[in-house]
Amino acid sequence: MIKLTFAAALFALSAAACTHVAPYERGKLAHPTMTDGQLDGPAAEHVYAVHEGATGGGSVAESGCGCN
Amino acid sequence: MAEKRQRARASTFRAARGAILALAGLCLYPSSAARADDETNPAEQSVARKDRGEQLQSEHTASTDKLDDTSTKHASLQIATYADNDHTTVFTPSIAGSIENVTQGASIQGRYIVDVVSAASADVISTASRRWTEVRQAGSIEAAYKPKTFGISLAGSVSSEPDYFSYGIGSEMSLDLDEKNTTLQAGFGYGHDTVGRCGAENSPANTGPSCTSFSVFSRTINRTSFNAGLTQIIGKTTIGSLVLDVGLENGDQSKPYRYVPMFSADVAPQVPLGASIPYVTANRLPERPLEQLPLVKRRMSLTGRLAHRLEGSTLRFEERVYGDTWALFASTTDLKWVFDIGQRVAFWPHARFHGQSAVSFWKRAYVSGSAPGWDLPVFRTGDRELGPLYTITGGGGLYFYLGGGADMQKMRLTIQGDGAYTGFLDDLYLTQRTSFVGSISFEAEL
Repeated sequence: MIKLTFAAALFALSAAACTHVAPYERGKLAHPTMTDGQLDGPAAEHVYAVHEGATGGGSVAESGCGCN
Repeated sequence: MAEKRQRARASTFRAARGAILALAGLCLYPSSAARADDETNPAEQSVARKDRGEQLQSEHTASTDKLDDTSTKHASLQIATYADNDHTTVFTPSIAGSIENVTQGASIQGRYIVDVVSAASADVISTASRRWTEVRQAGSIEAAYKPKTFGISLAGSVSSEPDYFSYGIGSEMSLDLDEKNTTLQAGFGYGHDTVGRCGAENSPANTGPSCTSFSVFSRTINRTSFNAGLTQIIGKTTIGSLVLDVGLENGDQSKPYRYVPMFSADVAPQVPLGASIPYVTANRLPERPLEQLPLVKRRMSLTGRLAHRLEGSTLRFEERVYGDTWALFASTTDLKWVFDIGQRVAFWPHARFHGQSAVSFWKRAYVSGSAPGWDLPVFRTGDRELGPLYTITGGGGLYFYLGGGADMQKMRLTIQGDGAYTGFLDDLYLTQRTSFVGSISFEAEL
């Protein structure tokens, strides 16, 4: 619990240290290569899911590994 | 063993803390980098004007309550193929569509995908089976509503194979803070899998050729997942995010086709890495039980992403650390560097590294007793993805905007391909696998 609190506090501090960027200053952040969630398509994502014994970091809803 | 797990948990925590510290460090860096990088190119200025224009339009619409149809509709088609040197090929066409209304904050999207899998891998041949071909179909739909700073999305998915059926639902909430400089998100997902069996001799053909009906034989697996994350604008050219995933899996995930060879205590230590099928056949004990995995798994992962816009290119970095109660620990690092070539074309080299330890019950050669009791190990597996391995992936992609004039971004053609080398560090039959996955996709705004 202490470790989790420490990590959360550290993360909050890190966020607070960031520069405030106004909406009209976000031209570079709005570039398509910055905003595209995944450049990999669904097939590549599926290959990673089957080949790697780890998961997470993607979508909330999951359905079937297709590897049975 | 307990001490080993404690050390591993401490190691995972150190990795997570390191990721957070790295993000904190980056937060201090970009203010100067952003100033030095203030001169955006015309395309990016156009994007900025569009971004600001949409915001002004949104404010105007909100104040006058006009309900103009500002929705945009997208459709995409992708054809992908996978092949490896273990005689497995997959052909995967998919279609997707979405309708978004930026000013009203609502969107809906759906995807349909088909996998045609053909395999004659070492695992298949070692059970004296022939090449098999199977078709998997999957569909998903997601609706989202985010009128202002708070948004919610609902998603559902279904996947079906002759011997496997699953569905999942999920919901995610997000909250924008500080003029969208910070976005918090939290999500929940539930999945239910029904695992059946095909190919058994004399089985009824209720659900396909030689497939046993789910009512006669099936197992169920329930998966529940939670995630929480934060996306943070770190500067004018950098954005980062951290997502924590926790998963609870209950049910028998053992493959009903996977037989695990057993060896005597004298022979097991002598079984070489990558022992061939004839070697295993000649040296194993007569008893060859089915795979048996623990019925409960708890998993956790922490994923950090960073995107940084340079002059004429974008650097995208992703790191995931993973651990579960089967004692599998993994690290996955993914890097893409996307270069603009004019306003219509971009290409990117891609590199990915994945390394993982084995689950606690992993053995290259399992030991059992002799007949009649056999005294089998409680947990046993031949699933290579539960063993120690590493994968190095390299490749790249290219996209072209095909639209005309100011609407050039309304049509996009993307081509990408990756080759991967996997080293299996403590396995029977295989010591390595090389594979290739390639895809071509076309997206259009209608």
